[in-house]
Amino acid sequence: MLFAMLLGSCAKGDGKTHIYLQRFFGECGAEYGGSTDVAKAEGECGIITTMINRFNAENPDVQIDVNVVAWPGYPQLTAQVAARDPPDLVTMHEGVISDYAAKGLVEPVEGYLRAAGISPDGFTEAARQGVSMYGQIYALPWDTHGGLFHVNTALFAKAGLMRGGKPVLPNTTEELVAQARQFEQRTGKPYLIQSNVGDPAFAARNLYTYMMANGAVLFPDAHHIKLNTPIGIQVATFFRRINAEKLGSQNMDTPGAIAAFVSGEGGIYPTGTWMIGSFEQEATTPGRPLYKNYAVYPYPRLWGEHVEFVSGHSWVVPTRKRTPQQRDAIARFFKFMAAHNYDWVRTGHLPAFKAVLDDPRFKALPHRADIAPLASIGRPLPSNVQRQNAIEGIVGEEAAAAFTGQKSIPQALAQAEHRVNDLLGQVD
Amino acid sequence: MAADLRRGRLTPLGWAGLLIGAAIMLAPLVWTLLLSLKNNGELVGHSEAALHGPYTLQNYAAIFGNSLTLRWLLNSTIVALGQTAGVLILASLAGYGFARLDFPFRRTLYIFVLVGLAVPSQAVILVQHQLFAWLHLHNSYPGLILPGLIAPFGVFFMTTYMRGIPLELDEAAMLDGASRWTIFWKIIVPLTIPAQSTLAVFTFLGAWNDYWWPLISATRSDMYTLTVGLAAAQMNYAQTSGLGYLMAQAVFASIPIFIVYIIFQKQIVRAMAGTAVR
Repeated sequence: MLFAMLLGSCAKGDGKTHIYLQRFFGECGAEYGGSTDVAKAEGECGIITTMINRFNAENPDVQIDVNVVAWPGYPQLTAQVAARDPPDLVTMHEGVISDYAAKGLVEPVEGYLRAAGISPDGFTEAARQGVSMYGQIYALPWDTHGGLFHVNTALFAKAGLMRGGKPVLPNTTEELVAQARQFEQRTGKPYLIQSNVGDPAFAARNLYTYMMANGAVLFPDAHHIKLNTPIGIQVATFFRRINAEKLGSQNMDTPGAIAAFVSGEGGIYPTGTWMIGSFEQEATTPGRPLYKNYAVYPYPRLWGEHVEFVSGHSWVVPTRKRTPQQRDAIARFFKFMAAHNYDWVRTGHLPAFKAVLDDPRFKALPHRADIAPLASIGRPLPSNVQRQNAIEGIVGEEAAAAFTGQKSIPQALAQAEHRVNDLLGQVD
Repeated sequence: MAADLRRGRLTPLGWAGLLIGAAIMLAPLVWTLLLSLKNNGELVGHSEAALHGPYTLQNYAAIFGNSLTLRWLLNSTIVALGQTAGVLILASLAGYGFARLDFPFRRTLYIFVLVGLAVPSQAVILVQHQLFAWLHLHNSYPGLILPGLIAPFGVFFMTTYMRGIPLELDEAAMLDGASRWTIFWKIIVPLTIPAQSTLAVFTFLGAWNDYWWPLISATRSDMYTLTVGLAAAQMNYAQTSGLGYLMAQAVFASIPIFIVYIIFQKQIVRAMAGTAVR
């Protein structure tokens, strides 16, 4: 036991300013542990690992100690906060920030931004909204991610739905249904690939996006959600119709849906920005069904306004005592990460900075010009509503039940409302 | 001879049923192993690629390429062995007391211990976490080991077993001048080896596979146990873009458990068959 205790208590005496950074995105030290060449890194894990290595190399007086947590890492962070030993920097989804900001558990970051020479005016609109709450900025936005229509252009061509080398996407729900029927008749495959099983984010994303497009106010105040409305019923009825007419794949979870899409088993897979890298790899591998047959676009406008529900990754600074040197190191880290936002968006996510959107290197990346509008049409959920992570799970579960016919639409939406309002009722 | 007789009772149909059952049980394990030996890229959308070569050890190399993997293995070993030793000592002593000694409130105390069986760990996790925070025990081996020593099942198990040992043994030893400790250590403990082995196996397995408490107590990666470390090492959407690596992790994490099963299979089978408790 003594040996064990000794093992667990190693002091740091290297004269450096240590910053304790906690992140998800996985561990890939075997491939990138010693690499500082950011341009050569691939994937979320590879790029973030290499970037932190690079920061450490460029800042010899600072050492970023990295703690990789199992996704999404919030149980651990909450435990660390409860034990009064939170990290200095943490990756956080923008929808989660308010849970911590409302209780003063993360610091406003305007001071760090000023020290780093970063103006919030440079954030994209979606990113700015995602990190702003209670009149302050609580994080360095890092990207914007949301749903996209990933398209198999070979099947679209077979279905007669290509014009000028680009897939024809619908502008109304009736157009979508007509195109889906045509697609199914000509290819024998479903128009949409859906992951309605065990993937609440999928159904929630669809419901949120098209309710927002219809002008719905999802959260009239910080303690209530409104889903069981004429707009909510209209959107859910549309997705129920997709399933009732078998225009979308049935009974698939996320791995099943991804496998189906890369195997050429359907026309469109509505999933996130994070899959662009994997699908592009398929699209550049000879012999694969997606080879030279892949395109990707934001969700089309089917009703009302062309807006889309988005979220984003960000860097927050949990509240704790820090030395001036540590605060300076955090500001330098912010500056470094902002300067390297382009490197990060090679993952497929959209930049958090307007300058990167206009960067020719970004525009030259595959498909980025097509998906760039997401940064302007993206709408995060209201930042004054807490528990968005849990709410998405509830809404997605009930919405999937409505879409697939397991529950009647009014019943599912009413139950989603009841469960979410019950949850929000417990929030201070 | 006895084994031959038992084998003789199986009809060809019985053997066939047994083989089919074994194949059904083994199929997911073999599938996991095959997936772990494939390149991740090949498995994206085509998991049936696992049924044919080429096979590679690159996923295992990636596991060992992480400098912390061996540390997590060491942590899990220390925690599992620490908990196992602690539970055996405490449960044996408590079991001896409840089974063979007469003292005030014995029955009440025993019921109090048994009530612990009905309290799920989640119900006390918040106060337990607070307590360990106050004691500054998070991110330490004691912090990982101590909660596992609360083992009402172990006390119940050893008490029940020890009650089955004739009291005359204690009385005879006392007549020969043996102390309570001598009786416990030299007579009762050797007689409870089968139960100790069974309890040890279950405790070790439980400690090795534990995820929830290490997840929130060991928040620094050098103090992760293997279960938490391997989960943290997974990238998002590992089920699709990193399936081979995910399966290699599963195989790697189960090797120590497999070894424990091989060594103690007799005790495990006996425990499962209910013969360990008299």
